[in-house]
Amino acid sequence: MVLPERPITILIAALGGEGGGVLADWIIAAATARDYPVQSTSIPGVAQRTGATTYYVEIYPAKISELGARRPVMTLTPAPCYVDVMVASELIEAGRAMQNGFVTRDRTTLIASTHRVYTVAEKMQMGDGRFDSAVVLKAARELAKRAILFDMQAQANAAATVISAVMFGALAGSGTLPLARADCEAAIRSGGKGAEASLRGFAAGFDAAAGPAPSKTVTPAERKRLSGSERVRQTFPEETRAMLEEGAARCAGFQDRSYARLYLDRLEPIVNLDHAAEGYKLSNETGRFLALWMCYEDVIRVADLKTRRSRFERVREEVQAKPHEPLHIIEFLKPGVDEFTAVLPRFLARPLKALAEASGLAKKLNIGMHVKTTSVSGFLALRFLAWLRPLRPLTSRWHEEQILIDRWLVAIATAAKRDAELALEIGLCGRLIKGYGDTHQRGKGNFLRILDTLVEGDVVPDDRARIDAIRKAREAALADPEGRKLELSLETLGIAPLPPRPKPVKFMRRPQPEKRRVA
Amino acid sequence: MERSFTKEVELLKLGAGQTFHGEGILAVTKALLQSGISYVGGYQGAPVSHVMDVLNDARDIMDELGIHVETNASEAGAAAMLGASINYPLRGAVAWKSTVGTNVASDALSNLASVGVRGGALVVIGEDYGEGASIIQERSHAFAMKSQIWLLDPRPNLPTIVRMVEKGFELSEASNTPVMLELRIRACHVHGAFEAKDNRAPQFSRRNAIENPEFDFARVSLPPATYAQEKHKVEVRWPAAVKFIRENRLNEVFEGPIAELGIVCQGGMYNVAVRTLQQLGLADTFGVSKIPIYVLNVTYPLIPEEVGAFCSGKVAVLVVEEGQPAYLEDALHAALRRADLQTKVHGKDFLPMAGEYTGEVVLTGVAKWLAAMAPHVENAGVDSEGIRSVLDELSVTKMRAVELLGGAVPARPPGFCIGCPERPVFSAMKLIERESGAFHISADIGCHTFSTLPPFNIGNTVLGYGLGLASNSGIAPMFSGRTVTIMGDGGFWHNGLTSGIANAVFNKSDGILVIMKNGYTSATGTQNIPSSRHQTEWKSGDMSIERALKGIGVEWIKPVYTYRVSEMAKTLREAMSSAYRGLKVIIADAECQLERQRRIRPQIAAALKAGKRVVRTRFGVDEDVCSGDHSCIRLSGCPSLTVKAASDPLKVDPVAHVNNDCVGCGLCGEVAHAAILCPSFFRAEIVQNPNVLDRFVARLRNTVIGWLRPAEGRS
Repeated sequence: MVLPERPITILIAALGGEGGGVLADWIIAAATARDYPVQSTSIPGVAQRTGATTYYVEIYPAKISELGARRPVMTLTPAPCYVDVMVASELIEAGRAMQNGFVTRDRTTLIASTHRVYTVAEKMQMGDGRFDSAVVLKAARELAKRAILFDMQAQANAAATVISAVMFGALAGSGTLPLARADCEAAIRSGGKGAEASLRGFAAGFDAAAGPAPSKTVTPAERKRLSGSERVRQTFPEETRAMLEEGAARCAGFQDRSYARLYLDRLEPIVNLDHAAEGYKLSNETGRFLALWMCYEDVIRVADLKTRRSRFERVREEVQAKPHEPLHIIEFLKPGVDEFTAVLPRFLARPLKALAEASGLAKKLNIGMHVKTTSVSGFLALRFLAWLRPLRPLTSRWHEEQILIDRWLVAIATAAKRDAELALEIGLCGRLIKGYGDTHQRGKGNFLRILDTLVEGDVVPDDRARIDAIRKAREAALADPEGRKLELSLETLGIAPLPPRPKPVKFMRRPQPEKRRVA
Repeated sequence: MERSFTKEVELLKLGAGQTFHGEGILAVTKALLQSGISYVGGYQGAPVSHVMDVLNDARDIMDELGIHVETNASEAGAAAMLGASINYPLRGAVAWKSTVGTNVASDALSNLASVGVRGGALVVIGEDYGEGASIIQERSHAFAMKSQIWLLDPRPNLPTIVRMVEKGFELSEASNTPVMLELRIRACHVHGAFEAKDNRAPQFSRRNAIENPEFDFARVSLPPATYAQEKHKVEVRWPAAVKFIRENRLNEVFEGPIAELGIVCQGGMYNVAVRTLQQLGLADTFGVSKIPIYVLNVTYPLIPEEVGAFCSGKVAVLVVEEGQPAYLEDALHAALRRADLQTKVHGKDFLPMAGEYTGEVVLTGVAKWLAAMAPHVENAGVDSEGIRSVLDELSVTKMRAVELLGGAVPARPPGFCIGCPERPVFSAMKLIERESGAFHISADIGCHTFSTLPPFNIGNTVLGYGLGLASNSGIAPMFSGRTVTIMGDGGFWHNGLTSGIANAVFNKSDGILVIMKNGYTSATGTQNIPSSRHQTEWKSGDMSIERALKGIGVEWIKPVYTYRVSEMAKTLREAMSSAYRGLKVIIADAECQLERQRRIRPQIAAALKAGKRVVRTRFGVDEDVCSGDHSCIRLSGCPSLTVKAASDPLKVDPVAHVNNDCVGCGLCGEVAHAAILCPSFFRAEIVQNPNVLDRFVARLRNTVIGWLRPAEGRS
């Protein structure tokens, strides 16, 4: 009898708590039932808590009864270039496997879920720190002998089971194991608890791997486009319509139709100066950040957004409440002096703010509230705020924002006359304006710092160098919430850094020992 | 306990003629029962936690055999328990994580090794080294050498591991010396099979008690007996061990046709060495190798006669020895020198000095060695070009991947679980840091050490389990402001109560201690500790941290429910600025979420099934209110608080998002409040199996709200 030359090697990459161990146990049970020598190892322990981990399985596809006294020597750690099946429960884990050399063109079938579980390093960034999924998908298709890629988490959710069941199904469906579908299903059944749900997940995974590849592996978020105004269609270039329609509609929803007109009035000169480079990127990006800025989040806006019907429906769907189940939504709000003065007219806001600053109460007067918007009183409280909308142009914040917006737009337009790229860089600085409270103030501070020094100042006389400087400064500002990186970036251009923002320091010194009394 | 072992307990009942299928560490447990032990103990820690867990679940078998199972207070306690084997013919075993556990145990181990044992004494050490390790990277080998304890390192397959456990007891008795059985993390969790034997009831046990105590001053570690003991070690016990190891062939030689070369490896390295040779075309899948292999299932002591016999006639041998210093390689040099053999010894010159010997590492090292030995290999008809091409393929594959991925993918270190009660403490500290600037924090060992990783980066030093407060004793007096120390409740009972708290009170320390009271040693798999709320019938259920503190003389004690971030911050602030001089203890009190979920999930499922009203709570972020600056994530780090692409086409940055794994602990809402973040967070309460009143009120509210709501406009 000719014996197989070597075992089949299976490496499973998963996150702690995803059931990778159960998957390894299923493979063992199925192989043992076939009388094949099989071995698995794992590295459990505290390192597994929510972190990346691996399970390694080897199956020797010959019956023990036919081997006599001989047993294959199976190893405990996977070797690069020597993995037959690489299973990853998440896309970046597939990337990690490739990075470690476990996916090779001549040998490896890569079975990976395309969904993402973002790492702390990715999600803690101020801007967008996500690793590009498309890069991993492309690498997977190039490096693997065969790549089976689909969203296993979605399949698991649909089957109301855990991802390991779908992974097992995909593994069985890929045809790379010396195990029949029935063997695998029997292994799941022998596991007992939750077997029915697991079998549903298994079947979904099996079909996805065995059948034709799903046409759409990553579904882009469905984006609603609503019909835009006539004016956008008539006056603005085709390439800018989607963005501008969205922006104008946002402004109309935020305030009224005349505010939407103002939005387009403000953009028109910039669109006229745009040389259509990169599909009107200047117009589109300025349009994007202008809309976001014009529709700034004051309490009126937040109250409005929180009391919409569509929002209630979205929450219901998100928290998976069934139609017959009553749902209570409790908002966590903590408005303070800033939020209060923002909606007062200027003549009242200024002295109040000054008073709060002077008395050191600015940071202390925040009132923590839990508002139940699903109750009549809670809903009314927020709705009342939302009804203040027509009065918004009288508020101090409105005034403040419009002045700064105009200053930014003038800077863009001025630059656009000289250099479109420079204008774009200034436009992109609009990204810094976001958030609430402290975050908003920090962002605005960083924005103003760049505007003062690099855009309106003349530290960097050469426009080309200026483009580069602004980009670097913006990236530095996004990389560090405290703004120190921005100052470091400016310092390289010879701009004296601002002193660190004084913290409301409360020195908690240890009380000094009492002076000894002299006898 | 994180896992239930009721299924595995059945494996321990297997008898002769049956096949055991299971994990390595369970096979060791079964082997202990087959060896007729009288007592067993240990301290939990990956990768040997399961020994204790499964024994605690196997009380009926233990009772039947009369075996005593002790949950030791620490590794020192476990090692001291082996003292039962000094005077009496009792076989006993203990288990712990190494090298940290061996460090803790070393006082008792030295004493035990000096006086020697009458009954077989076995220490099962789980070597937490390499990928996935959670401790400092050192070898346990040095402990064996300094105390003359024999060290077994079996080939990582179940039949060999089981045989070495059984032979280990015999070796211990034949040489009156305790024996350590070293198992690497993957060997502990290797899943395989072996032919079982019947369990053996011990001669003396709880069922068959010893009647008369024995006294022999020669077995007491006090001079002058200790001088005689040292001599006895090297003159009698060592030679007896060498004789036993040789006669029982505990080490193995696998011959091969390329007789000029040889590989000497630790037992634990055998499988990876064989796989490497197989990849290089020098061995088949059954381990039949062209190069002879000498496998050291006993890595200490070395048997000079065996080494001489294997090396004589060889041009060169390669030592595959994981870890450093290279004790085996050095010992081999010395043995060959004494035997006047000229065989070249290679090892760390081709393989790396430090780090885990994974498949890739050994493959690279062995391939380089073989390339250097090309003439000898080619004599045997092996193409050395093929060896080089394997190496090339390796580097090309990795380079291509890096090129395609355009840089390293983000790392995914471990972290706090969803809803972990320890996370809020660090959120509170982050908030205080904003006011006061950073302060020194002495961290400890436990899940809470994850605070040193992003997003918190809290904790300046880690010195050992339960040693947080002790490690702060030199730091605190050097700072003008107060410093903070963290200690878990596991570390508290392990030794923190004495080495840290009693000592701080005694020395009139002015420090601040935060005790994480989550009820278990969570990092090792949620084992029970003296202050756990739910105890089994074999454990005392009335031991409290608070009473221990008061008894020791701590006056300033403030328990805080951890999820109240503002209150935690307030209490910390109070401790820092209080005029009280003395140890200030904050007890961060909330049950380990992992264990809580394990406990309440079945209860909730049963209630739902019975049609009872259950309110499910979870948190959420309003996508259109979130501006995507992620400061909530920087203050929480909860796995279920993540990001997703904004469905708003205007927003470029991803928005925060709470996924369906949320257990509703409430931290994100608390943080949003305490840090005054943003109005995006909401708590959703879903009434499952609503009653008549629920439905009536909901309908009424919906109707009224429907009237009040204006027609939906554009965004």
